[in-house]
Amino acid sequence: MAEVILRHIAKAYPGGPKVIKDVNIEVKDREFVVLVGPSGCGKSTLLRMIAGLEDITNGDLLIGGQRINDRAPKDRDIAMVFQNYALYPHMTVYDNMAFGLKLRNMASDEIRQRVTNAAKILEIENLLDRKPKDMSGGQRQRVAIGRAIVRNPKVFLFDEPLSNLDAKLRGQTRIELQKLHRDLQATMIYVTHDQIEAMTLGDRIVVLRNGDVLQYDTPLALYNQPANLFVAGFIGSPPMNFLPGRIVNSDKKVSFESTGGLVRIDLSTSIHRTALASYEGREVTLGVRAEHIREQSIGLSRDNYSAEMDTLIDVVEHMGSEILTYFTIEERRFVAKLHGGATVTFDQPIALFWEVNKLHFFDTQTEQAIR
Amino acid sequence: MKKWTPYLLVSPYILHFAVFVAFPVLFSVVLTFHSWNIISPMQYIGLANYKHLFKDRLFWQAVWNTVRFLLVHIPLQLIVAIVMAELLNRTVRGASFFRAAFFLPVIVSGVVVTILWQQLLSFNSGLLNRLLAALSVPRIAWLDDPAVAMYSIAVMATWKNVGLYIILFLVGLQSVPMQYYEAADLEGATNWQKFRFITLPMINPTIFTVVVLSTISGFSLFVEPYIMTQGGPMNTTLSAVMYIYRQAFQYYHMGYSATLGFCFALIILFVVIIQRRYVEQEV
Repeated sequence: MAEVILRHIAKAYPGGPKVIKDVNIEVKDREFVVLVGPSGCGKSTLLRMIAGLEDITNGDLLIGGQRINDRAPKDRDIAMVFQNYALYPHMTVYDNMAFGLKLRNMASDEIRQRVTNAAKILEIENLLDRKPKDMSGGQRQRVAIGRAIVRNPKVFLFDEPLSNLDAKLRGQTRIELQKLHRDLQATMIYVTHDQIEAMTLGDRIVVLRNGDVLQYDTPLALYNQPANLFVAGFIGSPPMNFLPGRIVNSDKKVSFESTGGLVRIDLSTSIHRTALASYEGREVTLGVRAEHIREQSIGLSRDNYSAEMDTLIDVVEHMGSEILTYFTIEERRFVAKLHGGATVTFDQPIALFWEVNKLHFFDTQTEQAIR
Repeated sequence: MKKWTPYLLVSPYILHFAVFVAFPVLFSVVLTFHSWNIISPMQYIGLANYKHLFKDRLFWQAVWNTVRFLLVHIPLQLIVAIVMAELLNRTVRGASFFRAAFFLPVIVSGVVVTILWQQLLSFNSGLLNRLLAALSVPRIAWLDDPAVAMYSIAVMATWKNVGLYIILFLVGLQSVPMQYYEAADLEGATNWQKFRFITLPMINPTIFTVVVLSTISGFSLFVEPYIMTQGGPMNTTLSAVMYIYRQAFQYYHMGYSATLGFCFALIILFVVIIQRRYVEQEV
């Protein structure tokens, strides 16, 4: 069993503020967990703390049920793939992969077998005699993963391993990493700032900001039920649209009214109407994903969408299967993901519908979701 | 811009190169085929200087003396410089002070340092022998014993020059990315293994630079034996450059001295080529 448990983990540098604040995460055996967040949120620091490359100021780190806070990196039975791969430039691919095994005085036959097997899995058998400088970024990436695989560790740690690859290769490698996880059946913890990587790779995702865990859940849960404004805005592409306003309760009808008064949405059919009713008169932020704004009401029952809203289109991006349509409401840029066959013309008025039950509401002060 | 402007801009360097590099080199090559004592006109003597050189036992002894010096000086310099650079590369209190302190002998005049060490190594009144006497250890003739003198000079020369090489190694060490060490930590490498398998290969270019620089500076050994031992005892500290100097400015054998210099330059070139191959393959 190689579950990883972080219990009240905190990190502060001498004389500085806490960069990691009371983090509690449980990574199950064989689970693929992604730590995601903007630059400086502490995700890499957290990963390095698990690796033993950074000290833990407070809390307990358990791997396989054992507290390993004070164990040296080599005694934690983990392998790490670095952002810049950290392949030794003076060694061949074979030597790079065999280095850790040689240090452990493993028999040369066993080393050869392990390296060859890993090379076969990663399809780099023909590169074993090359040096890192003679390889492309993608090939180096595979070697770095190979170096981790040969050790057969309990836990794999990845520190933004795809960030140096071009977009196409990144997409391919994402798929291969998923396959690798399935084949190796190992516990993996992966750091990225790219929410698409997080969504596609993770069994569960930890969203971090300023050293705090904002939400830890499955990709779909993060997407469909973001716990707060930050997660709602961070997860999803294009990002969620936001509109500040307040809850109005008149004639026993709960509705949302935007600050400028241009948008008024009847929420009497919303699944959140009870929770929202208690926010009467208070400031809330409405969130709506681009795909939940439609140009026609076909397929939606009358109860599920708000009254149509006329708007002028600012920018149109034809993506083929869909059209990203940009417009402005009360000086806020909105984007709607319309069907590729929709007739949308720049600078022309269009009637758009909002799916009421797909709307999100957040307390503007606490930024927490209202449910 | 006029057509001749570029030539005008590079002319100071070309002039300097012509007067102080090209002319002396060409003139010394011409000199090797002549006999000349500065006062009398040059006399063409063909290959006589070269023939004499191969039979000149004192020159070959001077070359051997220089090689003996290098055999101690280069490894000592390398080891001390790498170890000190490793220590100074750590974030310890006063690291900047120590970095400056170790560099200080490099900028102090060679003559001053040599006189200082002459006092330190003096048989009767030197600090080192007094220390030995205090420990009831027999005194050592640091500069008068033919078996010891050249090695004493090698240690002194190392002390004088090592600061420069410490700085070079410090730069080399600081250019090794931290991630290599972190990866090695995860692989289970000990400090020694990290040094042997990561640091040393990664600072290979610096090692080569230091070996070549100290070889060339070692081959030009002059001030130290000239002041401390005048080449004695029994010519055991007579360096090749000192011998060339003697031939030129004591005996006025300018042609022969140029031949020695030319031959000695070829020896240095040969040694550096060998070093380059060895260092690049082995380290």
